Amino acid sequence: MSDQAIVRINDLRKSFGDLEVLKGVDLEVTKGEVVVILGPSGSGKSTLLRCVNRLEEPTGGEVWFEDTLVNDKKTDINKVRERIGMVFQSFNLFPHLTAKGNVMLAQQKVLKRDKATAAEVAVRQLTRVGLADKIDYYPAQLSGGQQQRVAIARALAMDPHVMLFDEATSALDPELVRGVLDVMRSLAKAGMTMMVVTHEMGFARDVADRVVFMDEGVIVEQGTPSEVFDNPKSERTKDFLGHIA
Amino acid sequence: MDALLESLTTIGRIFFDVEKMSQALPIVLSAFPVSVFIGVVSFVLAIPGGLLLAFMKMARTRVVRWPATFYVDVVRGTPLFLQILIVYFGLTLLPFYQTLIREVPQLKQPFLFGIDFTIYLRAFFVLSFNSAAYMAEIFRAGIQSIPKGQMEAARSLGMSTPQAMAFVIIPQTVRRILPTLMSEFILLFKDTALLAAVGVAEMTLRSREFVASTFNQSAYMVAAAFYLLVTIPLGRLVGRLEDKLAESEGGGGAKRPPTLLAPEIDAEHVVAHSEGIPTTGSSPNPITGGPR
Repeated sequence: MSDQAIVRINDLRKSFGDLEVLKGVDLEVTKGEVVVILGPSGSGKSTLLRCVNRLEEPTGGEVWFEDTLVNDKKTDINKVRERIGMVFQSFNLFPHLTAKGNVMLAQQKVLKRDKATAAEVAVRQLTRVGLADKIDYYPAQLSGGQQQRVAIARALAMDPHVMLFDEATSALDPELVRGVLDVMRSLAKAGMTMMVVTHEMGFARDVADRVVFMDEGVIVEQGTPSEVFDNPKSERTKDFLGHIA
Repeated sequence: MDALLESLTTIGRIFFDVEKMSQALPIVLSAFPVSVFIGVVSFVLAIPGGLLLAFMKMARTRVVRWPATFYVDVVRGTPLFLQILIVYFGLTLLPFYQTLIREVPQLKQPFLFGIDFTIYLRAFFVLSFNSAAYMAEIFRAGIQSIPKGQMEAARSLGMSTPQAMAFVIIPQTVRRILPTLMSEFILLFKDTALLAAVGVAEMTLRSREFVASTFNQSAYMVAAAFYLLVTIPLGRLVGRLEDKLAESEGGGGAKRPPTLLAPEIDAEHVVAHSEGIPTTGSSPNPITGGPR
């Protein structure tokens, strides 16, 4: 299992000032695996995700991506990030560029693809997320769900080895959530390695290979969806699932 | 009733004498390009300086931040008129300046519109250095008004910080600050009038000469008209740009600050100058917040 690990996290710690958000997290994600991270707000799940591509600088422990120690000062973090796609709660599309422009930019500037190739990939990825008819629209002309799908296409265009979803549907109106979840579902089916922070229990149950429950900066419990949802061992997990249901 | 009519006629004769105005027109008109030229060149020269100062002010190291903060505070905290007096007479006393004039006597020849280059040089120098300090605040506030998620998204795609700045942050900043920047140009253009006090033959000086020789104020009205010829259309354009900006923004998912409308060109404007873009995390400063 560990020879196929794409992301390996050992005793990860992160503090913001006096506040310790991650108190020693160990987690391994293998190729093709979909890991859904659940937990109450403030449990450190977003911070965990953001440590994987070093948007947050870990205070201690190790984060490995394939053969690279991510939190090593000598590591060229931009090289690592090329291969780690991230989707944010607030979409973060570039408002001055069209959907196509959003998907093309990093391909050209980071991967140095020529314009024609980047455009071709952009159209393919936007079609994949169901937005073939919106390629020339600006973010402001798109609904939240469509914007988030553009953001997914933007990340996919880089041919990532793993995708991080940080509450990708939390900012969406309920009726727009499904379209985004469908895209994530089909990605999982296509074999993409995914780390997903979400509050969508249905998605976790259907799509996750493994569910990780976090609380107060540690992993409390993990297992298959049925293990965690149907037979939670920890009181805290039971409590959390009870509140959600 | 007669008394009223009489005072109106007097006012008309003093300020709006048609004959005097038509005599003043070609004189002021000949100085119009001087004012515009000095305004435009100084403005363009101030942009790189303003950008440099803005980035310095946002630097993490205090050693970089401090000189920029000091410069901006000093320039914005002293009257432009005083700065003009210092530069116009002070610069000529400097050895390197005297050497320059000796070595390149052509600088003293009429350059454009009958004015020698050293005059322009000093005008550009003082106005662009002054304006750069104001622009630094415009640029800094503009860059910081872009939601943090934009930089994060760009970096998460593997872009370096300079790449993210160049292709994501700055293009959005330019759109946002364009109205404020144009207001800055309007202010700068009006400020060229202060150069009259040090003998630069721009519109205000030429009209003052005419007034002095005719004991009639009408030439000032002609000059005013020429200033308005530039400032009113530009001011309207600023308003239109703001409307367009307000319309087109709203994408990107992250919420943006409620307003960044540049103030109208009026008395309040000068006070509100450079405060047109909401800043985050900076408290109002008695110097930087004050009128020019």
